[in-house]
Amino acid sequence: MTPELERRAPAPVLAARGITKSFPGVRALDRVDLEVAEGEVHAVLGQNGAGKTTLMNILFGLIHPDEGELYLRGRRVRFRSPHDALASGIGMVHQTRRLVPAHTVLENLVLGHPGGRGLLDLRGARREVEALCARYGVHVDLEARVWQLSEGEKQWVEILKALYAGVRILILDEPTSALTPPEVQVLLRALRALVDRDGVTVVLVTHKLPVVRAVARTVTVLRAGRVAARLVVSDTTDHELVQHMVGQEVTLPAVHTPDHPGPAVLQVEDLSAYNDKGLLSLRGVSFTVHEGEIVGVAGVTGNGQEELAQVLAGLRPAASGRVRLLGRDITHLPTLDRWRLGLGYVPAERAEVASVAALSLVENTGLNYHFDPEFCPRGLLDRDRLERLTRQILATFRVKAPHPYVRAQHLSGGNLQKLVLGRVLSRRPRLLVAHLPTQGLDVEAAAFVRAQLLEAKARGAAVLLISEDLDEIFAVSDRVGALYEGRFVALVPRSEADPETVGAWMAGSMGRPA
Amino acid sequence: MKIGVYRLSVERAEAPSPTRVALGALLAVALALLLASVLFWTPESGPWAAYRIAFGYAFVNPSGLGATVHRAVYLLLCTLAFLIPLRGGLWNIGLPGQVYAGALAAFAVPFWAGARELSSGTAGGVALVSMPLAAALAGAALGALVGLLRAKLAVNEILVTMMLNSVMFWLVSDFIKEGGAFMSATAEGESFTLPEVFRPPLPLGLPPSAFLGLAAAVVVDFVFSRAAAGYRVRTFGLNPHAARYAGIDPVRVSLWVFVLGGAFSGLAGYHYFAAVPGLYKIPTNYGYYGDLSFYGIICALIARGSALGAVPMALLFAGLSVGGRFAQGALRLPFGVDYAILGLLMTTFVLSHLVDRYRVVWQRAAPAPTSAPPRPEGAR
Repeated sequence: MTPELERRAPAPVLAARGITKSFPGVRALDRVDLEVAEGEVHAVLGQNGAGKTTLMNILFGLIHPDEGELYLRGRRVRFRSPHDALASGIGMVHQTRRLVPAHTVLENLVLGHPGGRGLLDLRGARREVEALCARYGVHVDLEARVWQLSEGEKQWVEILKALYAGVRILILDEPTSALTPPEVQVLLRALRALVDRDGVTVVLVTHKLPVVRAVARTVTVLRAGRVAARLVVSDTTDHELVQHMVGQEVTLPAVHTPDHPGPAVLQVEDLSAYNDKGLLSLRGVSFTVHEGEIVGVAGVTGNGQEELAQVLAGLRPAASGRVRLLGRDITHLPTLDRWRLGLGYVPAERAEVASVAALSLVENTGLNYHFDPEFCPRGLLDRDRLERLTRQILATFRVKAPHPYVRAQHLSGGNLQKLVLGRVLSRRPRLLVAHLPTQGLDVEAAAFVRAQLLEAKARGAAVLLISEDLDEIFAVSDRVGALYEGRFVALVPRSEADPETVGAWMAGSMGRPA
Repeated sequence: MKIGVYRLSVERAEAPSPTRVALGALLAVALALLLASVLFWTPESGPWAAYRIAFGYAFVNPSGLGATVHRAVYLLLCTLAFLIPLRGGLWNIGLPGQVYAGALAAFAVPFWAGARELSSGTAGGVALVSMPLAAALAGAALGALVGLLRAKLAVNEILVTMMLNSVMFWLVSDFIKEGGAFMSATAEGESFTLPEVFRPPLPLGLPPSAFLGLAAAVVVDFVFSRAAAGYRVRTFGLNPHAARYAGIDPVRVSLWVFVLGGAFSGLAGYHYFAAVPGLYKIPTNYGYYGDLSFYGIICALIARGSALGAVPMALLFAGLSVGGRFAQGALRLPFGVDYAILGLLMTTFVLSHLVDRYRVVWQRAAPAPTSAPPRPEGAR
């Protein structure tokens, strides 16, 4: 703890000491301390996978730490379940909604209310909730069914539910990720009212710097399961916060960028797309990827990267704008025709999208070849040929698999990822779109995958690398950019940016000029 | 669990071998018959008499065997109708409706030919081809509707097919009851009898639809194991996201599996009402035949998606339903024992599937030097 923070901070209302939590194969939290003072907004900042949500789930009693203690108003507490946490006045609003869609808002609010004694007093509940809404300037139709509400409204129902239950400490996990900008403003105003007027304590998990700046007094920065810093927000700069989030200076390996880029392979003009919730999450991006070039796109999940990758692969319709592959307009072309034209797509979900768990590796190779006349003469799959190719991929990409007829579900994540990449690259694509290609991989596998991206580039492929890992982006990219709320904050040659600047872009800040 | 120096444990098994599957099926049949023997116990005779009568009629008696085989073909066609969409991850519960559509379309051919009043004449080979064709097309059209609703509007195919079953049931009623287009001359709530010239020939005592059904089973298995089209359907059935990633068009898959499924149901309707000796009309109790088509679902599920594997299943179900009904009459058994046997059979088959998922492992509990082969590194 910095001396300054100690001097200013009142006694913590909620504290965690030495929290350690491991999941199979990964240490999510490593001796984490957290202190939250009464009546303040305390932000927990960090990149994806830093351990923020795990820590919050421990505070709420959803999961139990391997080591460490929790203190509430100075007294040691043990939460066996969220029920205990709620009884102690701690409420949590999760990233994903936990409401009954077919019930009305009021019915959802009453459900599980600690005052319930078997009989519902809906009229009394309505009066109380209406008073709450008026107090915080929230407009929610209490008779509406939850499935009819927007994401922002649903989130409000959850917050109201916690307040109605009499919660004094409110944990919000990424509350702004599903909201539109005006909804974010309403939420931030209400949070200030909650804290300033009613003395409620808020723990706010986020990876967005503007949100931290807007409401939080203090902040704990997590990086890779450890506390990187604890600071008073007004005493720090965005630059400092980003540095804590991203980590130490990164040494860059040499990436050879040719002086003159090759011809354009992918041209994207003013492309927009809706996400699954019907929000415009990709908002008019334009860029070009040339032959023999890797363009690295950074961004925190949920800022339009997934939509961009899917639109390029033909798996999501473009709302507006244009996509050209090798000069040909493919905006409305089906996925299959894009594969034939030379697209190669490595999606982020290797197990759910890029492979079929119940099929053998040979049949999984078929995913990228079932339309190829060489592998399907007269409409029949040439299994021998598929098997030969699969064996070749297993060998070249160093996939550890007992034999090519093992089911894909038996491969570990890293091996499956190498297999998927191998399958896609075996087609020698002209354009490779790789989304989070090293997510969850160990260091060695990740390095191998990156080397393969560079090799594809050397062969003349245009590569669009979408990643959250700045080290990765800087390790292989010729140009780097970041998506924030569906737009490019910037897209510049690698030499004109550094990880810190791009980290600031990812958090929605322009950062210091490079 | 420890027994002596051995430790007994139950582990999840990989895919069972074909021998094991066959053995399990036989055991399931034996267990079902054993359980059902309680129902066949009458004061006068033990269960074996009932089984002798039932199996004797279904598989030995010439007229009983004929009925069994015809019914088995009907069930096989219904099995294909369910199995093809199932491989694409879709559930065709619309077998009765598609069967009715096929029967109506088949009878529409002689109706339009003005043959209702004909007792003899020369309809010729054209009619013999056009009747099954019309039946298949009608079933396919009904299936196409379901497939399109599923693919384009994501309407649940189970609900649509079940509602269509009711629609088609009453449509048949409207056609054959008093005043209906296909009403019989005596207005007995059944359709007119198919004139002889429209009845297909019976080489080896079997109508052409029987050979068609068997050939289709071979082709369906081949397509699903070897052809790119079958691969696409299977992939879509196992993981629709991966299928889309691979450029497999979900609309085409949903549409085609239901078109083909509907066509086979339609053919089944033609087969049972217009090609098999004994009926040659849509009878008053057509609903019974419609319900029978649901055994196609059971056959497909028990045969684990294999069309040829469903052939013995179809024969067994057909024989038990035909013979069970006969034994019921002969021994004055309570009503419904035939259904009871079929129900027990389903239960024991499902049980055998469950057992197949696991295997019992005996191990010496004493820590003998490890001679087990090392686990492959990439596996987990």
